[in-house]
Formats: sequence, structure tokens, C-alpha cells
Amino acid sequence: MLFDTTQLALERAISGAAQRHSALAANLANVNTPGYQRVDVDFHGALRSALENGGDSRAAVERTAFSAERDATAVARADGNGVDADAESAKLAANALEQQAAVQVAHARIAILKSAMGVG
Amino acid sequence: MGMFDAMEISASGLTAERMRMDVTAQNLANAQTTRGADGEPYRRKEVVLAERQAPGSFGAALSGAMTSSGSTPAGVEVAAISEDQTPLKQVYDPSHPDADANGYVQMPNVDTVAEMVDLISAQRAYEANVTAMQAAKQMFSKTLELLR
Repeated sequence: MLFDTTQLALERAISGAAQRHSALAANLANVNTPGYQRVDVDFHGALRSALENGGDSRAAVERTAFSAERDATAVARADGNGVDADAESAKLAANALEQQAAVQVAHARIAILKSAMGVG
Repeated sequence: MGMFDAMEISASGLTAERMRMDVTAQNLANAQTTRGADGEPYRRKEVVLAERQAPGSFGAALSGAMTSSGSTPAGVEVAAISEDQTPLKQVYDPSHPDADANGYVQMPNVDTVAEMVDLISAQRAYEANVTAMQAAKQMFSKTLELLR
């Protein structure tokens, strides 16, 4: 097989980070919506449990799907809104960097494959 | 889950916050208006924001059915612009053309200081959404570099 489990995991991580970005952007868009509960995508946890899947981690990683979940633990303001704009911005920046790191590593691995094929 | 969902979500935040700024500006502009559209003194207007539900498109229904539980983030929308029903201010000014028999004028229930605070909050939220949109743009262009 051309792409190993690590490469697949990187691709899933890139996709998970994009989904998480959507969730964090939705939190920031709803920073003034009364009663809004923040959402988050735990793609780290989903990928970790797929990679730790003893039998066939490759298939497990391939099948990993992420979903946005309500975060009921967030402390709500007086209007019932549980979004902390500063915390969301920090998470957003960290998530973007994480996604770019995954892209860089995936890119480097593809470059290695290319040079092995003699097209790099 | 499309590639540009994140940008659409941030754009919905920009629209909502801009609407809040528009309404705040309208309130400030009419802080002394004693004759509104209905002949009554102007009443302070307020934007009601609501979380936008995922659109009922075929694609959304399909992805909702295919992925596990959880909600699809879809941004924010302006649910309504409501009028503030708190009592109007009574100002004693017998020379005012709209003064009643006792010399009192009904003035709008606009508190300029509260409006300024609303304006700042809308502005900061707008900036946060712009930052989120820029981050999304950066992420997408980085991902596109995989093709190079």
C-alpha cells in the first residue's frame, strides 16, 4: 500500500481540525446569542482511540468520523451563553497551527514518496 | 461538511454583529426623537440573535444521517429586531412642541451610555469573527499546498 497508517491519520487529523475550526467559528459567531452552549470537536480523542485499536488500526483510522458535540461543562453567563471569546480565540489559533503542522508533515512525507519514485 | 462552511459561519457572525451596530447607531441617532413612525416617541430597538440551525438541504440531511450524533455548527442569525418596552423618560420642558398640559415631554428610552457599551461589544465580536475567517483562509491555503 502506498499510504501507511500514519499518513491516513495525518489526513484525518487535517479534516478533523477543519471541522473543529467550523465549531470554534460557530462559537465565536454566537458569542452574543442568549442561551447558546458552545460546541467542540474532539478529533484527538477519536483518532487516539482509532490508533490504539489493537486489531486493525489502519481500517479504524480510515473509518474515523468526527462530530461536533455540545460542551455542557462550560460556565454560562447571566444570559445563559457559555462562550468565552478569549478562550475560543486561543483555541482557534492553536487549532489552526495544529492543522498547519499536520499539513507540513503530510507534505514532507509525500515529498519522500515522490523522491523514492524518482519524480521529486 | 464543505470546505467553506467555516467561512460561511464566520460570515454569519459578521452579518449579525454588523446588524447590531446598525441598530445601535439607529438608537443613538434617535435618542432625542419625540415623533417616531407611529407618531409616538421613538423606542429603543434591540437585535435578538439566535443560533442558526443547519439548512435543510439534501447534502446536510445526507451528512447528518451518515455521521453519528452531534450537531452541525451553522452559525448565527438575527431572529428579530424587538422594541424595548421599558417606560419612556419624562423630561420637564414646557417650551417643547410635544410637551403635555403639565409641561412634560416623553423622551425615548435610549440610554446613550448603554448604547456605547453595546457598540463596543459588537465591534469586538466582529473583530473576533474576522480573525476566525482569516484563520480559516490560512488553513485552506495551507491544505492546498499539499497539491504542490
